[in-house]
Amino acid sequence: MSETKSIDPEMTDEPRTTTTGESDEELRAEWTAYDFEGDPKLSVDGLDVHYGDEQALHDISIEIPERSVTALIGPSGCGKSTFLRCLNRMNDRIRAATVSGDVTFEGRNIYEDDIDLVELRKRVGMVFQSPNPFPKSIRDNIAYGPRKHGDVRTGLLAKLTGRDDAAREEELVEESLKQAALWEEVNDRLDDNALGLSGGQQQRLCIARCLAVDPEVILMDEPASALDPIATAKIEDLIGDLAQEYTVVIVTHNMQQAARISDQTAVFLTGGHLVEYGDTDQVFENPRSQRVEDYITGKFG
Amino acid sequence: MSHTDESALAAERTGTAQRLASAVVGVGLVTFVLSLLSVARILTEETTLLGVGLYDFLALGALAMGVGVVVLGVGSRTGAFETNPDDTPGLVTAALFGVGAFVVAGLVASQTLGLGTLGWFALAAVSFVVALFAVALTPEDIGSTLPAGGVAVGAAALVLGDVLAPGFAWEPVGFSATFTGAMVAPLVLAVATLVASWAAAKAYEGYGSRGRQTGAYLLVGINAVGILTVLAGLLAFIALKGVGPATQGFSLVPFEWPFVTNGYSYQPDIVNGVYPAIVGTVWLVVGAVITGVPVAVAAALFLTEYAEQGRFVGAVEIATNGLWSTPSVVYGLFGYAFLVPRLGGSTSLVSGMLVLGFMLMPLCLITSREAIKAVPDEYRDASAALGVSQWETIRSVVLPAALPGVLTGVILGVGRIAGETAPILLVMAGGLRDDAPDVLGSFEFTSAAPYVANDALLQSAPALPYQLYATITAGVSAENAAEFGWATAFVLLVVVLSFYAIGIASRIYFRRRLNA
Repeated sequence: MSETKSIDPEMTDEPRTTTTGESDEELRAEWTAYDFEGDPKLSVDGLDVHYGDEQALHDISIEIPERSVTALIGPSGCGKSTFLRCLNRMNDRIRAATVSGDVTFEGRNIYEDDIDLVELRKRVGMVFQSPNPFPKSIRDNIAYGPRKHGDVRTGLLAKLTGRDDAAREEELVEESLKQAALWEEVNDRLDDNALGLSGGQQQRLCIARCLAVDPEVILMDEPASALDPIATAKIEDLIGDLAQEYTVVIVTHNMQQAARISDQTAVFLTGGHLVEYGDTDQVFENPRSQRVEDYITGKFG
Repeated sequence: MSHTDESALAAERTGTAQRLASAVVGVGLVTFVLSLLSVARILTEETTLLGVGLYDFLALGALAMGVGVVVLGVGSRTGAFETNPDDTPGLVTAALFGVGAFVVAGLVASQTLGLGTLGWFALAAVSFVVALFAVALTPEDIGSTLPAGGVAVGAAALVLGDVLAPGFAWEPVGFSATFTGAMVAPLVLAVATLVASWAAAKAYEGYGSRGRQTGAYLLVGINAVGILTVLAGLLAFIALKGVGPATQGFSLVPFEWPFVTNGYSYQPDIVNGVYPAIVGTVWLVVGAVITGVPVAVAAALFLTEYAEQGRFVGAVEIATNGLWSTPSVVYGLFGYAFLVPRLGGSTSLVSGMLVLGFMLMPLCLITSREAIKAVPDEYRDASAALGVSQWETIRSVVLPAALPGVLTGVILGVGRIAGETAPILLVMAGGLRDDAPDVLGSFEFTSAAPYVANDALLQSAPALPYQLYATITAGVSAENAAEFGWATAFVLLVVVLSFYAIGIASRIYFRRRLNA
């Protein structure tokens, strides 16, 4: 295999300068410390991500409080989606990506070698930008995770041994769909193919599918960007409800959306730097960084 | 001339010219298809249509078309029809007519005038140049219609004037083939009608770019019609020849179909049949699918889902393509030299299954890989994000989504191997027999290892394609070999088409399940 060559070989060796001419040192001094009550659910410390020779994230350190909504905002290509995918190691699926630094969840660094990815992703679920239900029935979509994890036993063998969990599965499907505010719309056609649902319904189905494996953290990568305003409003309401029970981290392009639904906001700016992190009201109304203020007021990005 | 200066926004489709052009194209289609059927000898010169002999009927059609096309061209030039022709029909059209002139002049010079090597070539070359320039330098309406009309009228004259009569025979020096009028005449008429229809299609839209578009549409479309004609002709031909002998002694109540349910008994008064060969072919395909498809699908999964895309995958891809293009007789030879000595030492059903399984593998691998690659990555991401392992994801999401594509490969592959003769000849060949291979009934438990035996698998077995080959070329059966062969071919066709039908039905079923 050929080694991928960077266009500029000095790019990763020299202190990197951003488009606005600030160096790493200057940026590190920015306002990313955030004091909150309660325990952090996820702590990230010194996270760097490279795609080949390209550095996508620079030294990210952040603590995410539990049972709240944390929004990640920033212009295109600022690394916010990359950061989100680091939190459940979905970046492992991209061969060129290398991650260094610590992500602590439940007291363990998830980038240690002996971490069980199955367990990690069960507990840190993810909802993607475009709705991606499986080409199966609505019921099978929801029950997919629990069945695979052995939480509900169905099928011939389970029936023969008398350990069939069909009733429990039914309950789980109903509960998950109710949590995702989809039950009313689909309860009479659970055996229909999920691809027959509308885009907004499909996305809520994906949320329900994620909830069915009973995660603690839900990562959402621009979950409403492919949806119309009415479907978006439903998803936003849903996110607010979910925060009662779950820790939600959401990437969004839409600053108004971040302001509406999140408790705290982290702003990433071009080049993969976390520039400001704090209470959403404070970040939007009184940003401490000049660049963040420029971004929020629409002067760039 | 009453050419419109600018092409009208809406094409006029109701004028005399349009009606005439449509009529020419319509006659052309009928004549073309009938000519092709005559070339294939499905219709012969003895057929009469509307009281006229078939060839004269076709020639009259061509004549009418030729006249019609000339009228269309002249009418446009004199202003009788409103058209919008270019200055020239274009170099391609000119070159085509040039080549036509070259061939005609060359044939006339060498065959009729008896000119020698140099003479015929000189005349032909001059004709080419003259025709090329004559067509290229005339306006489009004349340039594309007059030569086309000439071709049609000329061809019609040859046939009507009995120059190209069914009795005509031409044995060119150096060829060991004889061209008979019965075959050449419809071929010439088919080409002539095609050319004339093309010109008429251009005239329909009043020439110009719109005309060329219609002309091209007609040419391309008529090729599709030609393919359909060939397929329908082939099926009809086999059915015509085969249905008779294949249904000898057939009755519905009580159900009797001796050709399909009997073996070849060599006894008088009993209809000889192909039952053993049908059973042999079905077992062959089943065995090949069981050996070939799982290996191919598993390899495709490994290469697509697990293997790092690099040299190894590239090497396997090249090997696969190489295997797919390996001639089947080479597979047969391998089976004969490698499998047969290791599997009982004589030709056997199991050797045939394995060899055909090997042949099935590369195609199934290629199509399965494409099908698996086409499964959206979103499904894999979604499954991974739920904490489901890669293998579970493949089993529950990727494979079901890829199944219709995998089945397509199996359908194509089975279509190929079911009719394969060369490898069967070498590794499995069984002659005409009375008893069918009894694979299920031959399973036996034995007291010594390996405790299971199946004699039928290790014996030679008949198969339809091989039996067809044997009866036609080797004269294995004493009487009615040809009839028996046609009937066998018909049954083989039905068996292969049934495999297709099963494959297509299951593909539709699985596709339905995926898409709501």
